Amino acid sequence: MTVLRYLAMRLLFAVPQLFGIALLAFFLLKLIPGDPVPMMLGPLATQEAVDKMRAEMGLDRPVPAQFLAYLDRLLHGDLGRSWQTTNPVLVDLAERLPATLELVTLSLILAVAIGLPFGLFAGRKPDGMTARLADLFSTGAGALPDFWLALVLIFVFYSVLNVVPPPIGRLDFAVLPPPGITGSYVVDALLAGDWEAFRAAAGQLVLPVATLGLIYSVPILTMTRATVQRLNDSDFVRFANAKGLRPLRVTRHALRNALPSVVTVIGVLYGTLVGSVVLVEVVFAWGGVGQYAVSAVLNADINASLGFILAAAVISLGVHIVVDLVTLLLDPRLRTE
Amino acid sequence: MSDHVPARATDREPVGGGALPAVGLAAEFLAFLKNRPSFLAGYMIVIGMAILGLLAPFLPLHSPVDADASAYLLPPNLSHPMGTDSAGLDIFSRVLHAPRVDLAIALISTGWAALVGMALGSATGLWQGRRGLKGAGAVLMLRIADIVQAFPVFALALVLVAVLGQGVASIVIAIGLVNIPIYLRLMRSETLAIRQHGYVEAARIAGAGDTYVLVRHVLPNATAPLLAQMTINTGVAVLLAAGLSFLGAGVRAPTPEWGSMIAMGFQSIVTGQWWPSIFPGLALALTVFGLGRIGASIQAWSDPRERLRPARRAWKAFLAAEQGEALP
Repeated sequence: MTVLRYLAMRLLFAVPQLFGIALLAFFLLKLIPGDPVPMMLGPLATQEAVDKMRAEMGLDRPVPAQFLAYLDRLLHGDLGRSWQTTNPVLVDLAERLPATLELVTLSLILAVAIGLPFGLFAGRKPDGMTARLADLFSTGAGALPDFWLALVLIFVFYSVLNVVPPPIGRLDFAVLPPPGITGSYVVDALLAGDWEAFRAAAGQLVLPVATLGLIYSVPILTMTRATVQRLNDSDFVRFANAKGLRPLRVTRHALRNALPSVVTVIGVLYGTLVGSVVLVEVVFAWGGVGQYAVSAVLNADINASLGFILAAAVISLGVHIVVDLVTLLLDPRLRTE
Repeated sequence: MSDHVPARATDREPVGGGALPAVGLAAEFLAFLKNRPSFLAGYMIVIGMAILGLLAPFLPLHSPVDADASAYLLPPNLSHPMGTDSAGLDIFSRVLHAPRVDLAIALISTGWAALVGMALGSATGLWQGRRGLKGAGAVLMLRIADIVQAFPVFALALVLVAVLGQGVASIVIAIGLVNIPIYLRLMRSETLAIRQHGYVEAARIAGAGDTYVLVRHVLPNATAPLLAQMTINTGVAVLLAAGLSFLGAGVRAPTPEWGSMIAMGFQSIVTGQWWPSIFPGLALALTVFGLGRIGASIQAWSDPRERLRPARRAWKAFLAAEQGEALP
């Protein structure tokens, strides 16, 4: 019951925050120089046509009134139209979000698979070989620009070794996409039993997932390691060691206690990544929301930019709430408070 | 309360087993670095990059901005140690000139963000929980920081550059603005922790005002975590600036800058010409690595346990000396 009340509170607090984001984003975007109307109508448009279009879009009204109109439409589930794609923003986002979410989810799974065990073993012995390796890895991989690592991987594995498909998006043009169920090509292909599409989609995913997985395993490693190191000095680990438990058993105890903070890092990373995989999306021509947002911002496409910012904020808020719930499940001490 | 005087760094036993004389903070810091080669490497890399950037215009290099059309995508050779790019520009010269732009953007944007963030953060920390206008201001500041941090960082920086117009100054402003909340939060939590101490209470009872508490107690105690955050952030700022330029929203094309150089080589790498992208990326990664090591060194230095933990080599020498002393 307390969990439900907690959930309701979180959702209640999310409303003013989303309003603040929409407000700030709207006025910032309005400051971008460049009028979309002449760009939409082309260079040959008459002044009357431009004025008519501006009135139709409500652009002739003062900015606060425009914001209120936007909010009104937003509450009715309408994010407006993107003038670049001429589609409703909601449709555009629904088309591109699965691509980004698939990339981010798989990358974080890889990041956890690298960072968690590495951090656990590095934290067990702060002066050991693994710890020094972890040190080197985290400062090394943490310093790499993701878009550059992506290019290096493309050069090595496509240009030289030719073991992965070219960086041309989520699927080779020759392969038909599987029927859309979840939006993730690999999952959909598996569900449909379409091995050709699965192999093609998985091949395209290898390099971007490797890039992001390697780089974003660093914060997970660092957090796991720091938590385990802190736990090493705790009474329960000392007790477990003193009564002669095997090191692996002790590590398991420590892992259980380290999980809440690790889950929190993963959640924060997920939220950030949805908004910042832009560069890797560009390198691999991924066609996700990041690429959409970049071209929207650079072309004064306000509805599309706002739609992206709000979607990213909602996703990151949602992930934070899920993370808090998972932490509650993992740590019984938090539940009693 | 008054009998507990926090030990000053110089009062402590020198690091490394007693062989080094304590001649002040700087000497102790150098000794600390000497035992930790990876930290020392960080300082050498960053200082080296800065010196190279400063000296680049005076070195006998090809021009970083004037293209030689006959030298199209040449692989590394004697005349062009890192080859040339698709415009016929010498990559070696451009890589060496780039820190002038990249480091300057990173340092200035981090510097001003830290200053503003510190001012707002310490005010928030001191005023939080008070009645009236100051308390309300603190709450408002925190809520605004919440909202700014809920934005996707890259999108926010991109929007700001779009608003301000392309150019180095816009990037400096944009990167600084997105970083202010980080310092605001850090400084606030430091202030909140420090203002609870007995000595602050004592100063308050003696009639000290906000400014005195801030300058005398909060700032000295918050320096280390702030410095560590700043160096780490400088690295992130270099990456962010390079990322913006990679998208074509940052530094304009002929200006030598690592991110835009990587972007220029982007098309060539698929066809196998690796040098236009790989070299600037290496320089960029090396710089961020160096800044990361400097941040780690400040963090380790400010943690007494970490600072006094002898590094492996020093520890061995110390053990050997102990045994040598014990034997005869």
